[in-house]
Amino acid sequence: MAFCIAVIGKDNAPLYLATSDMEQELQLQYHVHAALDVVEEKCLLGKGAPESKELYLGLLYSTENHKIYGFVTNSRVKFIVVIDSTNVALRENEVRAIFRNLQVLYTDAVCNPFYIPGESLTSKKFDRSVQKLMNGNA
Amino acid sequence: MRSAVGLMLSHGSNVESVMSRPDYEQNALHHSCLLVLLRGVGPSRARVLQRAFEKVRRVNQIKVTDSSGHQRTIWVRFIHDHPVEHNDWGDFQTHRRLLGLITIGKFETQTELNELCRQHESLKVRYGSTLYEFRAIFFGPEEKEGEEEGHRLQDDYTTPSNFKSQAFFYREHDPCSDLDGRISDFVQALFWVLESRRLERSREKADKVQLLLAPFEKRDFVGLDMESRNNRKRCVGRVMKNLADLSLQAGLVEDALTLYHNANETLRSVGDSLWVGGTEEGLCAASSVLLYPQMREIETLHRNASLQEAGTSSPLRNTPEKWRASDATKKINPPDMNDVRLTSTSSSCSSVSSLVTNTTNSSNSGTPTTNSSSSSTSTISAPAALHATRNGELPLNILKPEEITNFYRKAIINYSKYRHAATIETEAALKASRICIEQNRPLDVAVFLQNILYINLSMSEPERVKRFEVITDLYQQIGYQRKAAFFQRLAALKHVQQGSQAPDWNQSYRLMLGSFSGYLLSLDPLEVLENSSGWPALQIDLVQSLISAARRLGHSALATRHMTFLLQTQWNNMSTTEQSEMAVQLQNLSAQCEGSPVPLVLENGTVIPPANLTDLPYCMDLNVKDLAAHLRPQRIKVAKADSGPFLFTPIHFNSMDRRDKKKDKNKIAFLWVQNDLSEVCVRLRNPLPFELTITDMRLLTNGVVFESIPQTIVLQPHVPTYVSLHGTPIETGQLDLQGFSTHTLGVKSNCRLKHMRGRNFPPNYLIEVIPALPRIGVKTSLPQTATFSNLNSSDIVVTSASLTLYNGESSSCTITITNESSTLPLEYLEININSNVEQDVQKKIFSFDNEALQAKLPVPPQASIDFVLHIYAEADFVCPVTGPSASLHSSCPAGDYGPASSSLTHYSTMSASGHASLPSRVGSPQHRSHRQDPQNSSFRSTISGAQHSLAHLSLQPSGGGAAGAGGPSSLGSQYSQHIEAQVRLKYSGGEGLTGGYCRQCAVSVNLELMPSVQVTGWDVLPAEVASQFYLVLDISNLTAQEMSLNYTDNKNILIEAKESCRVPIPVDRCSLEQVCAARAQEAAENLERELCFRTQLLSFNDALSKLCSTHIAERVKISWLLTGTDIEGIACLRGIVLAQSMVDLTTVSPLQWDITFRETPVQPHSEMMCTVGQCALLSIQLTNKSLQPLKNLVLSIKFYQDYLNGMENYNLETRVAISGPNRIVIPILEREEHMQHTCSVIFFTPGRFKASIECSTKPQTQLGATTNQIGQLETFSASYDEQQAHVWKFIPPIEVTVVEQ
Repeated sequence: MAFCIAVIGKDNAPLYLATSDMEQELQLQYHVHAALDVVEEKCLLGKGAPESKELYLGLLYSTENHKIYGFVTNSRVKFIVVIDSTNVALRENEVRAIFRNLQVLYTDAVCNPFYIPGESLTSKKFDRSVQKLMNGNA
Repeated sequence: MRSAVGLMLSHGSNVESVMSRPDYEQNALHHSCLLVLLRGVGPSRARVLQRAFEKVRRVNQIKVTDSSGHQRTIWVRFIHDHPVEHNDWGDFQTHRRLLGLITIGKFETQTELNELCRQHESLKVRYGSTLYEFRAIFFGPEEKEGEEEGHRLQDDYTTPSNFKSQAFFYREHDPCSDLDGRISDFVQALFWVLESRRLERSREKADKVQLLLAPFEKRDFVGLDMESRNNRKRCVGRVMKNLADLSLQAGLVEDALTLYHNANETLRSVGDSLWVGGTEEGLCAASSVLLYPQMREIETLHRNASLQEAGTSSPLRNTPEKWRASDATKKINPPDMNDVRLTSTSSSCSSVSSLVTNTTNSSNSGTPTTNSSSSSTSTISAPAALHATRNGELPLNILKPEEITNFYRKAIINYSKYRHAATIETEAALKASRICIEQNRPLDVAVFLQNILYINLSMSEPERVKRFEVITDLYQQIGYQRKAAFFQRLAALKHVQQGSQAPDWNQSYRLMLGSFSGYLLSLDPLEVLENSSGWPALQIDLVQSLISAARRLGHSALATRHMTFLLQTQWNNMSTTEQSEMAVQLQNLSAQCEGSPVPLVLENGTVIPPANLTDLPYCMDLNVKDLAAHLRPQRIKVAKADSGPFLFTPIHFNSMDRRDKKKDKNKIAFLWVQNDLSEVCVRLRNPLPFELTITDMRLLTNGVVFESIPQTIVLQPHVPTYVSLHGTPIETGQLDLQGFSTHTLGVKSNCRLKHMRGRNFPPNYLIEVIPALPRIGVKTSLPQTATFSNLNSSDIVVTSASLTLYNGESSSCTITITNESSTLPLEYLEININSNVEQDVQKKIFSFDNEALQAKLPVPPQASIDFVLHIYAEADFVCPVTGPSASLHSSCPAGDYGPASSSLTHYSTMSASGHASLPSRVGSPQHRSHRQDPQNSSFRSTISGAQHSLAHLSLQPSGGGAAGAGGPSSLGSQYSQHIEAQVRLKYSGGEGLTGGYCRQCAVSVNLELMPSVQVTGWDVLPAEVASQFYLVLDISNLTAQEMSLNYTDNKNILIEAKESCRVPIPVDRCSLEQVCAARAQEAAENLERELCFRTQLLSFNDALSKLCSTHIAERVKISWLLTGTDIEGIACLRGIVLAQSMVDLTTVSPLQWDITFRETPVQPHSEMMCTVGQCALLSIQLTNKSLQPLKNLVLSIKFYQDYLNGMENYNLETRVAISGPNRIVIPILEREEHMQHTCSVIFFTPGRFKASIECSTKPQTQLGATTNQIGQLETFSASYDEQQAHVWKFIPPIEVTVVEQ
């Protein structure tokens, strides 16, 4: 369902990145990385009214093959999901659902007292769940 | 906004390239410019003509007053290249049409001029269809010498006949002052042609207009009914649009706006999407011209800069963040114009409305178009009334800034429906993004730019790259560094794409380097490590691509540098296998070009800072080593800072010092010495799984000159290895140790401590280097020891000496000191001796002549001096006597000795009670009985005979141990002793001495002292004369050889090995004066103690006994010689302990005896004769010779018979009788007072009798305390004397021989 799910820290350093296609991982990383500019811009715009802040940033940009969606948590951790752009069946609501689930997973992962905020996420459980989420059977 | 239609339509395009090359530099304002091709022609056109080019370009705007008297501003856009096919789009957008041509060329000869003309003509032909005007500028050779002033160039050279253009001739270095004017004229000419075209167009009858076509449309309209209503409208709309374009170019922006609006209306109604798009774009362009005139300035700046080939962009563009914040880009929000517009719509462009025959309600589009249907004229013209808008007032139908974006969007959607309009679409998107940049709406910019990628434009690869680069540039302008980097990298990859015929690695390399910042990479590895952010995976990939680009370029130095950079910065982000792979790669790369820590400068001026492999090998710690202990410099004299009267004070008089100390945390506490090899110890770990060879490893220093010795090491994987790096400071001063340099994997690196992370290293170490000091070598004449010294600071020992001596023996040791330094003299030498024995003992053992030694200084280089160390085997020859067991030893052997004391043994053995032998010997005779004698004697013999020699040998150790007195510092003489001593030499010379430094080394001397003789017991016996006494000593020979003992001047005795013997030594008594002095001193001491400390007072007797002890030690020296050898020595009796009774014998008696027997004074050893029954008169006179009065004296007279076998018979009641008391109590005897006692003696039987006359005192503590209550102070001096029981005898005893009558 999703090509790639990435969790990016406050300082824009990658915390976690999972791809369904290992061959393309680097390419996807480049795309995700390039999407951060838009994420930042959107965060900047949403700064004014924190209470009405929409965490879901929507489509950041799309390319021939990918659609890249963004989501930012209140702690400025960014989630990026790359979706196959040929998959017309996928609706935005589903993307939102992915983000919501991802946030729950992320929250669970960082609740681990041994996790140091700002470090990359190495939790196997998190990884498993994200892989599941990526394959669309979360 | 990206429409799927566009995608579908544009698929499968293979048509003739309509307009293959988008003009990426275009912006919205170029719609209003006249396009002029400015071209250099001829062979040498580049730099020389630069000035001319600039001059021409500067004339990009002129002001023209038109026929109606209005002033118009005309803009020119100079371009360098223009594809001819672009002209075909001139109907669609007139600004695409090339209107003017200027060529600039330089010639030397007529032929060259002809060639220039030819080229000019050919350009003219090429663009002939659209050109209005043309000019040629020729630069000819310099004026020749001798030619008259003002000689015109064109007189010499003539243009060919077919050359019809207007030409300007200049000399090569002509300032071309009139060029500006000429270009202005040229532009004006262009304007007037354009203006005429515009008027022509505006006067065209609406029903006669031709259909204007975009190039690709030509086929579409073949065979269509052009007279249909729709097509008429289409024609009219298109013409109107064309007129609007022309108006915009001719400086009539307001007219253009109105026309665009109208055309938009018209065309939309017939669904002419492409042209609707055109009008929409036109509206945006016209609005932008008014809203953002500053864009032209940027444009100008930009272009000028690009000409100079340097910065390629304006200063603002380099700093997007600043640019975004600057005022220039504040959104221009004119006051809400909607209200105004509502009131005044009718006045605008009413004349055009006649053409809009089927006016659709334009309100749905929300654009301010006119909807008035009344028409007054049939021509397509803009009303002149609009010129009223002046002075910053904006026309009412202008698009609002936020609308511009929308219109661009619509335009792009419209364009996208035609695949042949892809170029137009691309350009529109670029123009839109430029406007959005101007409006500071980065998100929109991003959307527009993103959209460009979808436009399927069949274009060549270089064009594609160009497109990416332009996108990069625009992203950079809005500060989207990551996006910019993304596209920059794509562009770089495109350059060298597989299958590309001519991969341009140079460009690729340049672009990749450019994208560094987007990936948070910096060229400086330090910075990268400092920030340690970004995406490691991407960074690694990018650097790797960069490396391969550099390698393909053949620039192996760069490849090596980048590889080093990669290893250094991304080490932690790589897996172990990657790490080793990269390391191997680096090794391969550096084989071609070795890496070194110098900045590399690229052709374009980019400086690649050095990359150092600071963590390969990984330095775990670094220790600056002090010099070897014996070479360590010390201060000769510690200059004491004046810190007040206190040893410690919390007040710091010099607070600066303290702060300095804090600041120099990295300051090394010790010193290095100039010209001395110094060492730094480094612990390294090789993190790679293979053997790592490091060559040329040396220390990196700053400050004073330091000569580092390179070292080559091989590190095994993962094993921490200690490496010592050596070097020699050549100068004095502060040495700043910064790290070390390595050469590994083919790369030279400077590994500075401050760059090593996570190890808490200080940024550097500061070491003080002091002036050079000499070095010495020390040798001794004695053999070296194998054992090590246990003494303190044994590390400074450079050599050792060992010696075995018998106690009391003397020897010497020659110590040779060689000055080993080649230049420095040895000027200062100070010798100390340090040992594990007490200072005073040590002084007795070791001695040397310091003065003689000092006289030998200075020692020149390579010379040597020597001195003699005298060693005397000092020992305690007297075995320590403490407690009861000691008294046994001291008294027991005394029984053996001589007839006079033969009887005392049993007493002392029986009552070993702390009292010494003498009092018991003179104890009251009534306790003695003859009956006890046999038992006693037998007992005595067992002790004194067989056991005697064993007793002290075997008992002594336990005795010493039990007494607990045998500490390590008191040297017993019965065992061999080990003395460790260090002869410490402090030396200096040369500048180091001036600086107050010296070095210290030591010779360790191991001394073994063997027991020789020992005094195991002693006693004091009265001598034959009153001025002397006999010191009786039991002396054991503890050696394994026969010993000859010399105990008085001429008396020798031989003692077998392990045997002992007893010797009497006559000694002068201790004089009364000395005793008095001792007493006085002690009294004073006691007084002091009493006053100050109230501690235990010294007993007087201690002082006296000490006095006696030293008295004996001074006088008695026993020299011994081991027979058969030349080993000899002197034993001294220091430390002998005397009991009270012995003390009395040792000192001269305070009582002077004057005894007369039968009126004759008794002489020592004189025989008294007496007859039985005769009354003999015994007269005793006592005189107190001491300084104090004597109290409670008891004078007693006893007669006894000495059987000369140790038995004395005191029971003489039947043999002798005394008339008068034989016991007289004298309460006090003052100083110098006499006391006379006389008695008569009658002997009843003949025989030899002896008379013991003695005077004893008894302790009188109580009495003393009560009587002397008045004067406390006197109490002490007096009472101590009295507290002791003293016995003074008249010696020798009187012998009376009684004969029969």
